[in-house]
Amino acid sequence: MTSSAKKMTSQRVSGGNLTETEDQQRLRFQIELEFIQCLANPNYLNFLAQRGYFKDPCFINYLKYLQYWKDPKYAKYLKYPQSLHFLDLMQYEHFRKELVNAQCAKFIDDQQLLHWQHYQRKRVQLLNAQAEQSEKAKESKPS
Amino acid sequence: MAQISTKQKFLSLIEDVEIVARELFELMSTPKGQQRADAPEQGELIQLLIKKDKDIKETLKLASEQGKVQVVIDELKAEVDKRDMDIKILQKNLKEAENILSTALFQAKEKLTAIEQANNKKISSEELIKYAHRISASNAVAAPPTWAPGDPRRPYPTDFEMRSGCLAKMSDIPASTQTSQTQGTYTDSTSTRQSSVQMSDHMLQTQSSHHSTSSLSWQPSSDNTVGHLASGSHHPLSDMRGHNKENEEVELMSTDSSSSSSSDE
Repeated sequence: MTSSAKKMTSQRVSGGNLTETEDQQRLRFQIELEFIQCLANPNYLNFLAQRGYFKDPCFINYLKYLQYWKDPKYAKYLKYPQSLHFLDLMQYEHFRKELVNAQCAKFIDDQQLLHWQHYQRKRVQLLNAQAEQSEKAKESKPS
Repeated sequence: MAQISTKQKFLSLIEDVEIVARELFELMSTPKGQQRADAPEQGELIQLLIKKDKDIKETLKLASEQGKVQVVIDELKAEVDKRDMDIKILQKNLKEAENILSTALFQAKEKLTAIEQANNKKISSEELIKYAHRISASNAVAAPPTWAPGDPRRPYPTDFEMRSGCLAKMSDIPASTQTSQTQGTYTDSTSTRQSSVQMSDHMLQTQSSHHSTSSLSWQPSSDNTVGHLASGSHHPLSDMRGHNKENEEVELMSTDSSSSSSSDE
């Protein structure tokens, strides 16, 4: 997947032909949208790190270029907005180096899952608390 | 010039009177024959005594006037002290007012910058709500209520979804690396999406035997595609090769993830 993205950008820039047709632009938009959202997958990031993609300066520049997705008129197309956070983290070399470890990726995965479940857990707790309160009220009423 | 204080003048006059009186008594108590050679005359002594008495009276008057002046001085001092207190109180109030004004000014400036910032980045609330609905309804940012460990749904695009996207289609994945063995997945809709087959996470164990053969069969096709690329560097070649293995190891890693993340810590 990364190779196709790089192919697109290299064709666009170094092929000598700097203008894109509307179709090409549309395709590039889709590709980049998919790619940036894939960055939210820590296993994919670990995969990329282990293949040595993070050592390629072209790739690093591409990551820097992708930051345009932070603008609201682009960000509204993101289904997984947490990918922007990962994009920010990816700008740091230390993070990229750490991602080679599988434990790092697993840790990020676990934290993401826990955070994902956070809202649901909070809601369940709230409902339980309310249920308890109503039970207490019922008990106190007949007496 | 340093003037002798009234008090000292008084004391010295009194001492002088004492001395004169003593001389007088001495003169009068001793008979004429026994007097000293330089003893003063009676008349002189009495004159001296009268003069001293007059001096004392004058000094007394001076002292009483000075007392009156001192009272006025004390009154004025009290006034000055009162005014000093008033000035101090006013100064304190002024300082307090300055503090309050400076904090109010600071907060007002902050509010103004916040207003400006908000005005620059206007987003309609309807758009926000639509977006919020979109990201929540697909369970992208909040877990579904029925989620349990072992559920393959994740807060990021899973490799199944990644492979069914147009990014994967663009990379020309040949059918040789994909097998037709699909098990029942949790998301039935995606299995009907394409003719090219998707790997499910549970498939991985059977795939390990296919790895060596599929990578070999991939090599020739990657050589063909190199010629199509506009940039002639060897990067695309390595990328294509990297991409072949990507499919295999994505499957590898997905099992790892599914087995490890099933433990809900």
